Amino acid sequence: MSRSLTRKATEVLAQQLLNGVAVGGVYALFALGFTLVFGIHRLLNLAQGAVFAVGSFAALYAVLRGLPLALAFLLAMAASGLLNVVVEILAFRRLRKHGEVEFGAIISSLGASMVIISVLQRVSATQVFRFPFETVPLTVYTVFGLRISLLQTVMVAASAVLVVVLSLLLYKTSAGRQAQAVAGNERTVMLFGIRPNAVYFQTFFLSGALAGAAGVLVGLSFNSIHFMMGEPFMLKGLVAIVLGGLGSIPGAVIAGLILGIVQTLTLAYAPGPLSDVLIFAILFVVLTLRPNGLFGTQFAEGIGKRR
Amino acid sequence: MSELFASYQPLVNLMLIAIGYAFSQYVVLQAGVFSVATVGVASIAAYVTALLVVRVHLHPILAVIASIAAGIVVSAMLSIPLARLRGVYQAIATLAFVQIVLGLALYAEHLTGGPMGFNGIPKEVDTAVLLVSTVVVAYLLVAIRAGSAGRAFAAIRQDEAVAATLGVNVSRYHALAFIISGAIAGLFGALDALHGYSLTPEQFGFGALVAIISYVILGGRDSVWGPIVGAIALVGLPEISRPFAENRALVFGVILMVVIAWFPRGLVDTLLVHRRDVRLKRDANKASTAS
Repeated sequence: MSRSLTRKATEVLAQQLLNGVAVGGVYALFALGFTLVFGIHRLLNLAQGAVFAVGSFAALYAVLRGLPLALAFLLAMAASGLLNVVVEILAFRRLRKHGEVEFGAIISSLGASMVIISVLQRVSATQVFRFPFETVPLTVYTVFGLRISLLQTVMVAASAVLVVVLSLLLYKTSAGRQAQAVAGNERTVMLFGIRPNAVYFQTFFLSGALAGAAGVLVGLSFNSIHFMMGEPFMLKGLVAIVLGGLGSIPGAVIAGLILGIVQTLTLAYAPGPLSDVLIFAILFVVLTLRPNGLFGTQFAEGIGKRR
Repeated sequence: MSELFASYQPLVNLMLIAIGYAFSQYVVLQAGVFSVATVGVASIAAYVTALLVVRVHLHPILAVIASIAAGIVVSAMLSIPLARLRGVYQAIATLAFVQIVLGLALYAEHLTGGPMGFNGIPKEVDTAVLLVSTVVVAYLLVAIRAGSAGRAFAAIRQDEAVAATLGVNVSRYHALAFIISGAIAGLFGALDALHGYSLTPEQFGFGALVAIISYVILGGRDSVWGPIVGAIALVGLPEISRPFAENRALVFGVILMVVIAWFPRGLVDTLLVHRRDVRLKRDANKASTAS
């Protein structure tokens, strides 16, 4: 009797872990885009959450227009990528040439985020939307006694594919190496014929596209698309990138997965607000004990002067 | 005349509270600390006052003093782990603090009323009290800015390494800025609680945090007039004109982007520097024509 009870409890735990990995994959995607811009340009783009919401809306719009989901997904990624490039041009370009970039970028991208969110609010008339029923068919597979829905499979697969593609882009292509060079020293790379503005275009496009992809996956799985949906994800994304070490790409992925699992487990066993308290308490403790995050190698102090 | 004032009195009160919070944010930014802890400290202080007045029936003045003390203690404790961090990391750590306070306030329903809010707080604070508090704090800030602490803050803000080389104890002055900021947040959090009849956790959430930063960015981080002008402008704009009220977030967003890109010092400090430059140039011209 008690044996079957413990077995039941283990099964529930394993199921929650699995759900956590699916959510964590989405966090990883979001955090990846966030940390990419920080790692290369030392800019914290707080408009990332708003871009994420735009991705969700774009995919919804495309699906409602009758496009297949895969196409809608790609369109949403393109739209959010382009939006993020616009944010870079309007909110960061002038700042980069004058004055306090680190401080200014936070304020400026916060402003950009407010502008995007209020436009979204206007367009959506403050309503909550959902994808049409069975946009992703409600198939459930049973593996080793665990239930995995088709949607969760899509979430994990899409996250994994995008993480691998991004790593290949960054480490194996010329454009990726140029981006890394810009991360080293912007003035020097200009002497080598690399145009920093082109690199900014690429990283912000990729970062926005990743945020948009996360937005589509979240829109599909939580089925509640509204103009404010980006804010909690931006705050959680911030947690993931700091835990992983600001600018560290493997760190962001691992921290995103951990965050998803911690959140799913705490939500399953504790009241909602306490889950947030725990997550932000972890962030605070990690920041004060290991400012470079769990996996980071960079310096938390005086980063503004490391240009 | 008095009728006109009465119709604008609620707005004036909101502006005075906003100026108080802006002062708290201004002190840390003035010392080069990028902390956003003001709303978190104000939240704790507001609930302390509400609990002491409603549950313990303490005299409001004593409750306000207790809140200021709570603000000082909380920010002194915060300043210890934060002393190691700078810039973005400081902002994120204090943001985490704000989220922790928000989560606890939502969770501890028996103390705070949870998401439904804390209701039935007596209104003990009127415009006169708010005005006196604001003026007193503004005077103290002017005095601090003119003294040795103010010079140390300015040196640290402009270049921490140079300040340290000149013998300024950076971590001590950072802690001092934190504590002054916490005391101000404590005072105005308490006044806020005794002014609005009720408190909700979200009142001290991310939106409020952004609004308070906006006041100081728009106004400026050097002169004490900066936060005053910023708070009055941003609280007043939506009231004066309907299009602003309908697109409040949009206007705030555009203002933040434009000001930080084109007037990074803020409106007041840009104006003051410009006037000083003009005066210096005129004096220089006078000197050259005289000789």
